[in-house]
Amino acid sequence: MRKEIYEAIMRRQASRRSVLKGMAGASATAMASGSILGAMTSSASAASGSAALRAELLKIPGVGMGSPTDADWQKVGALTLGPTKENVAEGEFAGVELTFMGLNNQNLHNLLFRGFLKPWEEYTGAKINWIDLAQADYNARLQQSIATGTVDFDIIEMGAPFEGDVTGKGLASEMPDWVRKQIDMDDYVGYLQAPVGTWDGKTYRISIDGDCHNFNYRTDYFESKELADAWAAEGHEGPWEVPTTWQKVQEVTKFLKGKKDPFGGDAYGYLDPLKGWGGFGFYFLGSRATAYAKHPDDPAFLFDPDTMKPRINNPAWVRAIQDVLDAIDSQPPDQLNADPGTTGFQQFLAGTGSMLSWWGDIGSNAKTSDGSVVGDVVGFSILPGSDDVYNSKTGKWETLPSGPNYAPNMAYLGWGVYVMARVDSDSKKHKAAWSAAAHLGGKDISLWAAAYPSGFQPYRNSHFNIDEWVAAGYDRAFIEDYLSSEADSYNHPNAAIEPRIPGIFQYYSVAEDELAKIYAGQYDAQTGADNIAAAWEKITDQIGREQQIKLYKASLGL
Amino acid sequence: MSSNAPSFDDDFEFIPDQITESRRRAGKLLVRVFFALFVGIFALQILYKTSMIGFGFENWRPVLYAYLAWAVAIGVGQVISRGEAGYRALFVLPAVMFVISVVIVPTLFGLVIAFTDYNLASFEGQKFNGFDNIVQLVQDDFFWNAMRNMVFYVLAVFVEYAIAFGLALLLNADIKARKFFRVAFLLPFMLSPVAVSWMIGKSLMENRFGPVARLARNLGWDSPAFFTNPWIARISIEIMDAWVSIPFIMILLLAGLQAMPRDVIEAAKVDGANPWQNFWKITFPLMLPVSATAIVLRIIFKLKLADIVINVTSGGPGGATDTLSSFIFREYRDRSNVGYGTMIAIVYLITIIIFITLLLGFVSKRMQKMT
Amino acid sequence: MTSKAEEAGNFEHDENRFRLLTILSRVLIYSLLFFWVFVSLFPIFWTLTTSFKTAVDVTRGHIIPWVEFQPSWKGFRSLGLSPDTIWATSTVRDEFLKRFTNSVITSIGASTLAILIGSLAAYGLSRFQYRFGFMRNKDISFFFLSQLILPPVVLALPFLILYKELALLDTTLGLIFLYTLTVLPIVIWIMRDQFDTIPAELDEAAQVDGLSSWGAFFRVILPIALPGMVASFILSLILTWNEYFFAALLTSSEAKTLPVMVASQTGSQGINWWSMAALSTMAIMPLVIIGIALEKYIIKGMSAGSVK
Repeated sequence: MRKEIYEAIMRRQASRRSVLKGMAGASATAMASGSILGAMTSSASAASGSAALRAELLKIPGVGMGSPTDADWQKVGALTLGPTKENVAEGEFAGVELTFMGLNNQNLHNLLFRGFLKPWEEYTGAKINWIDLAQADYNARLQQSIATGTVDFDIIEMGAPFEGDVTGKGLASEMPDWVRKQIDMDDYVGYLQAPVGTWDGKTYRISIDGDCHNFNYRTDYFESKELADAWAAEGHEGPWEVPTTWQKVQEVTKFLKGKKDPFGGDAYGYLDPLKGWGGFGFYFLGSRATAYAKHPDDPAFLFDPDTMKPRINNPAWVRAIQDVLDAIDSQPPDQLNADPGTTGFQQFLAGTGSMLSWWGDIGSNAKTSDGSVVGDVVGFSILPGSDDVYNSKTGKWETLPSGPNYAPNMAYLGWGVYVMARVDSDSKKHKAAWSAAAHLGGKDISLWAAAYPSGFQPYRNSHFNIDEWVAAGYDRAFIEDYLSSEADSYNHPNAAIEPRIPGIFQYYSVAEDELAKIYAGQYDAQTGADNIAAAWEKITDQIGREQQIKLYKASLGL
Repeated sequence: MSSNAPSFDDDFEFIPDQITESRRRAGKLLVRVFFALFVGIFALQILYKTSMIGFGFENWRPVLYAYLAWAVAIGVGQVISRGEAGYRALFVLPAVMFVISVVIVPTLFGLVIAFTDYNLASFEGQKFNGFDNIVQLVQDDFFWNAMRNMVFYVLAVFVEYAIAFGLALLLNADIKARKFFRVAFLLPFMLSPVAVSWMIGKSLMENRFGPVARLARNLGWDSPAFFTNPWIARISIEIMDAWVSIPFIMILLLAGLQAMPRDVIEAAKVDGANPWQNFWKITFPLMLPVSATAIVLRIIFKLKLADIVINVTSGGPGGATDTLSSFIFREYRDRSNVGYGTMIAIVYLITIIIFITLLLGFVSKRMQKMT
Repeated sequence: MTSKAEEAGNFEHDENRFRLLTILSRVLIYSLLFFWVFVSLFPIFWTLTTSFKTAVDVTRGHIIPWVEFQPSWKGFRSLGLSPDTIWATSTVRDEFLKRFTNSVITSIGASTLAILIGSLAAYGLSRFQYRFGFMRNKDISFFFLSQLILPPVVLALPFLILYKELALLDTTLGLIFLYTLTVLPIVIWIMRDQFDTIPAELDEAAQVDGLSSWGAFFRVILPIALPGMVASFILSLILTWNEYFFAALLTSSEAKTLPVMVASQTGSQGINWWSMAALSTMAIMPLVIIGIALEKYIIKGMSAGSVK
């Protein structure tokens, strides 16, 4: 049995490494060609800094030296001004005032941007006014600004799901070519390339973040001799190992009830956040469902692209809901009141539960956050798959010849920076706004943001150069495991990509309300799912069905 | 005591001033001139904004100034044309004019969108949809569920009131360090609802390490979970809200206790009643008017309970803690479903107004009987 | 005040001739008092100490400083307000100070305005009979009260449009107007009770002395009711100080206030317990100081009726 585990691990590691090697090789080549040209720029882009600069950046302040301070943010901003200086003359934007709307997410995001942009302001002479929103207000504030014509900002930090609302209504400014060059867009990981960030073939988005759900688990559980013995003793099929399908996740979760956690305390399996989170809670059902619902031959998984008929009540989604219901008895007490934030940061990181779907920040926090006790025992992979997958076209469950169906959930798609169309009439302001946005989305600045507490995840192929991270002080085994799970998800051919239709969070929000009732036992999975579908149909009609069909197709690249 | 108020005006004979006809006319003219000015600027701005004419103001601020000027003119006009009666009207006019100026536009606007299918994400904008929203409301489980919860929350106000009354009596007793106790008891009211939700709901009452959970475990509750069982969740939310709000009721009641006429207590002393009888026969009836104000204000605040619910439970488990305000909040803000959200609010407003009117009528009838 | 309470005590004492019973009731009163002090203060103590805790100390529920956990300046450092960061540049501190100042101006401005026009209206409603169309005094009072009832969320869009057109968006003045509206009903109801308890004979005497109704109000009634005004001022201050919803909606970069920053400590990455606790502590401080300084007015104020 031990041999089998070993081999299983090696197989997975090997496949990961090969992906990574390929990528590291690619970026190394890019860098080499850059140095041959003898400039700070490569032939492909105007933005890739030298390896020396990148190494210097990653030493500010150095991994394990505590949280970066304001001074550090400004230092990073100053060091990465190179690409800006190529496109903008000193003092060129003197007298320009811009307003930037974004989040104050635990004193990061907008406050970090202030630090990054301070050297930019000094160099260009522009001044930026800041609108900081709490995350809970963000969606409402944006929607209401749009509807009442009170768009009083020039640049906005925005998640891709809102693209339908903003770019779909012609409120965003199209990206000029010089910006595209400055930020080296070809470096983006697969799923962030067009059609994401584009609308009707025009590009609007500067990505500053990558978001997808991957699978976080506790290695100590799956290396535990006691648990392995118990697993065998109870007659479970297969070795005691990290589950790679949802079927196994369910089995492991039920098995772990009543067992002891290696840290002491009660053991728990997969953690389902059962409480809503302003729409974000729906992503967690999504992560359970995509392997069932996202067929490799069909880009859509949430709606039927031709009619906008919801698929939420099809057998695939209902099965995912039923999975959650089946596992409720094996969850920690009070889980009904645990939203994703509580589940991720107060349970998983604090040592409760052994498996969790989450965005990249659980991984980066596991090592760096002082609230985490799992830093040395956490492992990562792409979301589990399913032995069978539902085909919406035929209405049948299929078993793929290639094995289990994997479909990583590209939830939220990450934050981006967008320039509003209201600057278009003033060419100086237009250039200033785009220059500020491009500075934040620069290739080198993003490496730093990915490596240090910033609220942002890796999103460029050049972020996956393990040697850079190791040189900065990261533990090689950990960072390899972490980055490879991210990379595997980002570049997965069957990724389930967030629909960017207008009002998508309305759909999520109403689904959360109904799911709460299902989880509280008021409806069975099918009835509850039918309720969600009915509510979704109503929203679609309200927003405009024809329009939604058109935009959903566009967002899927159909 | 407010119960004495009605007799008040009878004692207070009002003799109208002798106003000359010309003075009266001058006053009216003044008001009319400024009203015309206000209407004129208003009309000009409408024409400008609808592009009917080419000149006007950049924004509506000048209309606001014209309104203010008109309001002042009304005040001056009242004094000129009505003398003393005008001076008296002047007391209440600023508040009335202020409230009307701030709420009139939003209220009218709200009434209009309540009858539309306005969804902020919609491309076509809003469409009038008649009574569809009301029909939807009647069939909406979430609405009725929240309404049922509100009954519980409102009834809980009386428990809060009882506790607050007890605390006020304690503070009114002959105690040392009175100032310390008063300030300490008042403190919970000062903490912001966001901080209460997180520091208490998500930290103190956290089910594994929170001190309250530890206490519960020591008291023999094996795996305390404060927000999983519907009734426990509702009570937990109510306890948090009560913790914040009891000081508010307590302060009003304490003030009332301190204002109690001394001679009544003296009389009771002669009667030889025991403290318990004292309380029910003398203190409690005398406190009724203050209690009524305290309870009515508190119920109104309770009917708007939302922050703590949104932050701590999002209305869960399965809607058990949902309040009408938190439901409207989700509908209006999270789902940008503005038309329907506004309709719920207006129906709710009307319900509350009827309820409060009945309550006030009931209280004043009871008070007449008891005093 | 104290003498009256003592009398009440004596009176109880005489009633229950048994000394033992008196001692028992003392014990009961003080144990109840201390129990409620604990109930009131423990969560605040928890908030205060949390600003000195690391995340592990929070999630493990450590309570007693120096025994269960080592206090650190973590919360205040994250705001740039700890001893070692107070002199360094800090965006967070600048943000905090700007919001704090705005909060002070807005809440004091709104409370003052509400007390001003609210007291006048309350006095008028208490002393004179009005008739505006079908509305009598009772209806006018109720009209004011009804402004308190509507859930603020539905006013979001209308106010956004109104304020945009009046160029009041993101201005402290606009926020002051709105907050005045939200506390005005409370002020009017409390102050009307206050004025009702002041005997009308006082007004009449003043008018016999040749004062007008306004003269009587300012020279005679106001001084008596002043403590009551202080009390409603404090209640208004607390309510406007913590107002979150409209602050989040109607302010951008100029008029922004503190509560939004408190809420910003939670987000997609869990919660910064220490900075939320530190912010809450800093936010509650001015109110506590005002509470201690003006506490005697709250009680005296509401008890203006004791003149009787």
